[in-house]
Amino acid sequence: MLDTFREVVTPEGVVLQLRAAGPVPRALAWLIDVAIRMGVLVAAGSVFAVLGRAGAGFYLIALFLVWWFYPVVFEVLWKGCTPGKRALNLRVISGNGGPLGWQAAFTRDLLRVVDMLPLFYATGLVSCLLDPWGRRLGDMVANTLVVHDAPPRALVEATAAPPIASTVVLRQHEQAALIAFAERGPRQSLARQIELANLAEPLTGLRGEAGVHQLYGLANGLLGRNE
Amino acid sequence: MKQELFVQRYRHEWDAFEHWLNVRGESAKDARSTRRQWHGLGDTEIPARFRRLCQQLALARRRGYSPVLVERLQLLMQRGHTLLYRTPAPRWRRLAMFLLAGFPRLVREERFCMTLSALLFWLPLAAIFIATQYRPELSSALFDASTLHKFEAMYDPHDAAHALGRGSETDLAMFGFYIWNNISIGFKTFASGLVAGIGAVIVLLTNGVMIGGVAGHLQAIGSGDPFWRFVAGHSPFELTAIVIAGGAGLRLGLNLMAPGQRRRVDALIDGGRRGALLCAGVLVMLLIAAFIEAFWSSIGWMPAGVKYSVSALLWLSVGWWLWRGGRNAAFDGTAGEGATR
Repeated sequence: MLDTFREVVTPEGVVLQLRAAGPVPRALAWLIDVAIRMGVLVAAGSVFAVLGRAGAGFYLIALFLVWWFYPVVFEVLWKGCTPGKRALNLRVISGNGGPLGWQAAFTRDLLRVVDMLPLFYATGLVSCLLDPWGRRLGDMVANTLVVHDAPPRALVEATAAPPIASTVVLRQHEQAALIAFAERGPRQSLARQIELANLAEPLTGLRGEAGVHQLYGLANGLLGRNE
Repeated sequence: MKQELFVQRYRHEWDAFEHWLNVRGESAKDARSTRRQWHGLGDTEIPARFRRLCQQLALARRRGYSPVLVERLQLLMQRGHTLLYRTPAPRWRRLAMFLLAGFPRLVREERFCMTLSALLFWLPLAAIFIATQYRPELSSALFDASTLHKFEAMYDPHDAAHALGRGSETDLAMFGFYIWNNISIGFKTFASGLVAGIGAVIVLLTNGVMIGGVAGHLQAIGSGDPFWRFVAGHSPFELTAIVIAGGAGLRLGLNLMAPGQRRRVDALIDGGRRGALLCAGVLVMLLIAAFIEAFWSSIGWMPAGVKYSVSALLWLSVGWWLWRGGRNAAFDGTAGEGATR
């Protein structure tokens, strides 16, 4: 298992695996957010400029809101994503795997001040690199985590092939490897499938396409398919 | 049990659960309004179905079923977890309760840090103020000449038509400025407390010295009257809010250095939780202060008596609020935030 996984045991007693995000995608997401914030402020500036002196007041209020509350509002109301994070498939969640609340979102936003010290998020970057789950200081204090959002995938059917009962007793991880091959193989090119199946020659005694089909058959036998 | 049989047996349950999540799990509002049209899995069944799913996931992992199946179950379980363990939506009533009761309670719970913060702010302020009365040249050591000149122009006692405490800006522009500037300072005071409390100490000391210096200088050169008339109105909220933000920062720094019988990260999480709640209160206090400062404090013609009586009233109410707020039996157990440890 990759070590950026954070495993959280839920009250139901099952382990929830969270894929923590590293500094690079987070920095890219931040850049997108900065661009959006600048855009909003420039637009607000040109609109409020029409209002003359009072406009300056509205502009400063807009600056205050965009500066301090842009991440909070998006992260809470949009399931932990700011537009930048959505673009990079990231999501902020609570450290226990649950969704982010107002309080935690506000805390991690306030502590951005410390993470930005002394320049360009240097503190945040160091903390992100040292922490096993890539958290910046604000994440630690707010008990939050930035994770990669797993794209929903449909249940892939293993390829149809007549099930074959294995004559050799396969160990658990060998069975898992066979089934994984049967599920992922069809998404790869035939040459790659053959290359992989050739590795299993000692088991199947076959090379080439025949070996691939033999492996699919064995996997279906393991899965318990009967025709 | 072979995987294929397992999938065959439970697949319809997973599909039903997923369908429910897709249709009814997204928004509570939509779910309420489309209650009658829905004929799938009942809402009350969901927690039980979720626990069942968790058990099936555990079984699938234990039996070494294929990664694709385990991943699908985990994804469903994660979506269910996100839905069932979400934090309740904020309610206006709760917010009002927090401001009236929870916040003062929280401030009183942190009385040690708050006292420390108040001392760090008020002692240098008073010391510099008194010192400049005896040695007026001290102010030129604190501020350069152009800054001093600007302050003098802002509080010129001979220019009665002039709005107090500002150049030519309008009330609204200043309102925006106070919101941006003062609230940002309040938030930064809290956050910089994470640097072992040093940040908060520095902010408190410099603010104390600056405010004391300006007040002392203006008093010494005889511009005291417009200055006091200007600051009297908003100072109860603004100065108290800065002290509270500093106290929250000190609490965070102290939790970092002396976590007690907790893991350091747990102590920090607790400090951060309290700090965020205190900052929410500070935000409201500074909003009130900005409003008063922009639209009331600057009125030049208002007689000093009125301004000072209003100021005294505000100081008393802030003090009363922080001292007595949330002590009423009616708030017991309901205010929540400040009371739970």
